[in-house]
Amino acid sequence: MKGSGSTGWKGPVKFRMPTAENLVPIRLDIQYEGQRYKDAFTWNPSDPDNEIVIFARRTVKDLKLPQAFITQISQSIQSQLADFRAYEGQDMYTGEKIIPIKLDLRVNQTLIKDQFLWDLNNFESDPEEFARTLCKDLGVEDPEVGPAVAFAIREQLYEIAVQSVSSARESRLSKKSRRGSDYGSASKASGLSMDLVKLFSFKSSVVRKRKDLDFYEPMVDLLTNEEVDALEAREERHAR
Amino acid sequence: MATNAPIPGGSSEIPPITPSPPIIPETPSEISASSNSLQPPPSSSDTDFIYIPSYSRWFSWTGINECETRSLPEFFNSRSSSKSPRVYLYLRNSIIKQYRDEHPNKISFTDVRRTLVGDVVTIRRVFDFLDSWGLINYSSSASARPLRWDDKEAVASEAPSTVKESKAKRICSACKQICSVACFASEKHELTLCARCYVRGNYRIGINASEFKRVELSEESKTGWSEKETLLLLEAVMHYGDDWKKVAPHVTGRTEKECVSQFVKLPFGEQFAKDSDSEDGLETFDQIKGSVDPESEGRVKDGSSSPDNKRMKLTPLADASNPIMAQAAFLSALAGTKVAEAAARAAVTALSDVDYEAGKNTGGDPNRQEINCNDSERAVAEAKSLIEKEEKEVEGAIREIVEVEMMKIRDRIVHFEKLDLEIERSRKQLEDMKNLLFTDQLNIFFHTRRSRKAEDRAESS
Repeated sequence: MKGSGSTGWKGPVKFRMPTAENLVPIRLDIQYEGQRYKDAFTWNPSDPDNEIVIFARRTVKDLKLPQAFITQISQSIQSQLADFRAYEGQDMYTGEKIIPIKLDLRVNQTLIKDQFLWDLNNFESDPEEFARTLCKDLGVEDPEVGPAVAFAIREQLYEIAVQSVSSARESRLSKKSRRGSDYGSASKASGLSMDLVKLFSFKSSVVRKRKDLDFYEPMVDLLTNEEVDALEAREERHAR
Repeated sequence: MATNAPIPGGSSEIPPITPSPPIIPETPSEISASSNSLQPPPSSSDTDFIYIPSYSRWFSWTGINECETRSLPEFFNSRSSSKSPRVYLYLRNSIIKQYRDEHPNKISFTDVRRTLVGDVVTIRRVFDFLDSWGLINYSSSASARPLRWDDKEAVASEAPSTVKESKAKRICSACKQICSVACFASEKHELTLCARCYVRGNYRIGINASEFKRVELSEESKTGWSEKETLLLLEAVMHYGDDWKKVAPHVTGRTEKECVSQFVKLPFGEQFAKDSDSEDGLETFDQIKGSVDPESEGRVKDGSSSPDNKRMKLTPLADASNPIMAQAAFLSALAGTKVAEAAARAAVTALSDVDYEAGKNTGGDPNRQEINCNDSERAVAEAKSLIEKEEKEVEGAIREIVEVEMMKIRDRIVHFEKLDLEIERSRKQLEDMKNLLFTDQLNIFFHTRRSRKAEDRAESS
């Protein structure tokens, strides 16, 4: 196990989701013959591929969608899985990254806004567990919120992991020295990441500044039906 | 849900996904007690009681049964850190709770998958497992189907086939299935139960088992075989032999089963059984010619054809794995029932006589002496062996209990070790952080000293 807390250069790690379970976030948004199917869930890439069709069939049956959706759903899932697998062979540098993860989602009538720090190096992290605890602690009654939160976290982690793969490739190509790559990962990244050292530097204490408090606090809102409709209409307008 | 019973102390540790009070209509023990013992009219009571089939009696909110570990091993082989039994409990309990909230509506996999945190294929497996064990989406009208294993294909094929069967059959009022074999009808209460429901006791409390009359649902209840049909049947069997799939369409309007059962019932029909013996084949051909009219002549032939009867009954035992039994079956079949009975009895008495005689002529033979024990001694020995068996069973049970306790303790130890590791890890991190801080402080100190010195020098100069 790599020693944590050292600022030294970290060797490249094979690409994977930086969580305990290597689950891929899958987003589906299929339009066909006037019917729109939107969904988001997590998939385990080590499951056999025949599960994709089984899942597609099950979903179409449960939601009473037309049969054409089966192939569309399976294709979409397949392509997203293929993208994930394409990254899998490559290296990624994770560096000393603590990243802020933002939640801003609406599930049925619940609106959640939150921001928190996530240690990208903790490969034992569990977004699902976090989502479960979050919903329990905030007293969220709608059971669909949990999976949506876990999915949002996973999606962001996936994006950052992908970015770190590309940054690793860039630094290798740019022929910098080894130390250069380390700085590369720390500074080239999305700009949102913070260095561990900087965060706990002597200038600041561990306690958060007052002005940041509002950002890092979770906010849960329950909307009425009319507000939900209004929001949905606005979203559709944005989409078009 | 009409009723809202409180959860007893034992099953209170449910990891709730939502803090809203879960509505559990019945305690698990109540559920299993009411399963399959009551069959009230489905209209009113379905909303009050949740039925689960009796083979799922093992279910408990807080425990994991062996069949669960067997069917879903991914949670229990600790190969992945986030597929633990705790996660399994969370998934299972939330699915079942969700189903019971929706009861009597069925829940679909997509409903469940949307509300659970986890990867969808795993959720699907748990859902399918619960579905096949009747813990969710279980409707009492399906109770006659003992669906233990993941046999979805069999279920799917069963359903259409029962629909396709002939319409003019009696339907069991309990399980709503077509009664084919034997029925139990009660005129007093106007009920018809199939054999399975009758045996299981799927009727209202007020009815006594003795009030049912057994009704044989063979071809007598229907049109009965006419001469023409029997002739067709015989022709078909002659042509196709044992291939009932071909016989059935030849005999227009009869299914395979009916053909077979009618054929077996024909007094001389057994002669058509496929014999490897060609002589018998010729014999049967003659007898066909001679007995076209089954009703009258068949009965006349009853006596003479009884030996041939036995040849049909040969088949069950003929492929017994024990060759001696097969021989005995064959011989007894040839000889006829009465003769076989007498022979068996004689054999048994002969054996016991041998024992007795052997006992008498013991002399100094130790083997014979062992055999020679009175009935009472034999009973004593049997009792002793029974006692020993019981003791062994008790010992085994105690051993199991001890093992389970040990496992519990081991699990707790593992859990504590994990916590320990976590604490160790965070402690190490803190230490590293402390070291960093210290080096930074040193840096500052030197810097400030240097700057102060520079200041002093600047001031002095």
